[in-house]
Amino acid sequence: MVEFGGWVLPVQYEGVLSEHRHCRAAAVVFDTSHMGQFVFRGPDAASQLGRVCTQDAENLAVGRCRYGFLLNEDAGVIDDTILMRLGSEELLLVVNAGTAEGDYAWICGHLAGDTGVENRTAAGWGKVDLQGPAAADVLGPLVDTDLGALGFFGVAATDCCGRRCILSRTGYTGELGYEIMAPGEQMPAILEGLLAHEAVRPAGLGARDSLRLEMCYPLYGHELSVEHNPIEAGLGTFAKPTRDFIGAARLRAVAETGPPRVLVAFQAGSRRRANPGNVVLAEGRGVGCVTSGAFSPSLEVSIGMAYVEPAFAEPGRELIVDTGRTHLPVTVGEKPLYTEGTCRTRDL
Amino acid sequence: MVPKDLSYTREHEWIRVAEGIGTVGITDHAQAALGDITFVELPPVGQELAQGAEACAVESAKAAASIYAPAGGKVVAVNEALEDDPGVVNSDCYGEGWIYKIELDNPAEVDALMDPAAYEEFLAQEEH
Repeated sequence: MVEFGGWVLPVQYEGVLSEHRHCRAAAVVFDTSHMGQFVFRGPDAASQLGRVCTQDAENLAVGRCRYGFLLNEDAGVIDDTILMRLGSEELLLVVNAGTAEGDYAWICGHLAGDTGVENRTAAGWGKVDLQGPAAADVLGPLVDTDLGALGFFGVAATDCCGRRCILSRTGYTGELGYEIMAPGEQMPAILEGLLAHEAVRPAGLGARDSLRLEMCYPLYGHELSVEHNPIEAGLGTFAKPTRDFIGAARLRAVAETGPPRVLVAFQAGSRRRANPGNVVLAEGRGVGCVTSGAFSPSLEVSIGMAYVEPAFAEPGRELIVDTGRTHLPVTVGEKPLYTEGTCRTRDL
Repeated sequence: MVPKDLSYTREHEWIRVAEGIGTVGITDHAQAALGDITFVELPPVGQELAQGAEACAVESAKAAASIYAPAGGKVVAVNEALEDDPGVVNSDCYGEGWIYKIELDNPAEVDALMDPAAYEEFLAQEEH
């Protein structure tokens, strides 16, 4: 068990590698109840949120989700989030655990008008993520909705294991998967219902991290922070400054000059891990810094992400990571590093 | 699981001595605490190590740890099979998961290590 964002969470159940591989092959369930959930209601909720979030809430269709950011005026990332349009006047924002309290204060401080805000995390709501190519086969019989009609990044209110919940086809693993949100008292029945299926095993933070890293998804506090903007993180498409939101002006300026560093994914020639903070070397000098590193169970080598000067960011470029013990040769890769994920492609 | 024919360190290494050569690995307690081992850094053959010196390191999916020399001497062999299959340290830590062999400078240094009963007691105390 480890401290994570003010919560105590399991690193592993059976073992990180087997949980990771089981997610790629069948299905795992993560208890992600630590994550923040805020609901916004009212006729102005979408237009108001659209000024605080990089997601264009007004043009987000009911039943759809969109990834994006809360930015400060400098376009520094306060958090990365998923915005879900539950109804014409009802939106749900899912945020990271460690940042949830600050997010809530930031958003409430920037909402005008009479938009109602419900802090579902404070109210004890929970969330579980069912992830893996077998996820739909597991979930189908347990819900009263047609999963075939719920496309990638779709969201719907439904019943799961007889409990009222919000179901989104989203996740953090690259596999076909769902996130299920409900009041805390409903969660044990849902979790037990999922785990009762023979294909499903529980998975912890360790596998969650190696799964997301193979997909090159950012982890707040590693790839993202107020020190980084979405453009240098390679996520500018989720923060298009064609509208006015907090940080948009700064993003337009960054887009014009180009960022001084960019986030790359890399693969090592060995199993030895690079660690956050390790210096990236090229041409005999430091050109960047590692943000995440892990052994990739799918690729069977060490992988990671790093911010480097743009001149050293093209795929195929060979770099050196100074791990402190050795100089580890790595090669910049195309994102995602793992390309067999089923999140979009699995036929239902 | 504490085999009766080995000597143990407080850093959870084991050493088995035969004809002046010590075979070194990590204990079942250590492999269980580390979890899935993903990389074993082997020491260079020929390296001279003093008792207690850092010899090499292991990385797991959730941690990293140094491996120290239970007794001083010269590294004479390493388990190269671990380069491709470090998980053997998890599955057979006292057998195929050995890490390196050291030609001992002073076999008496091994006598100062914990015997199996002392190591079991040490483990019991660590749990408190």
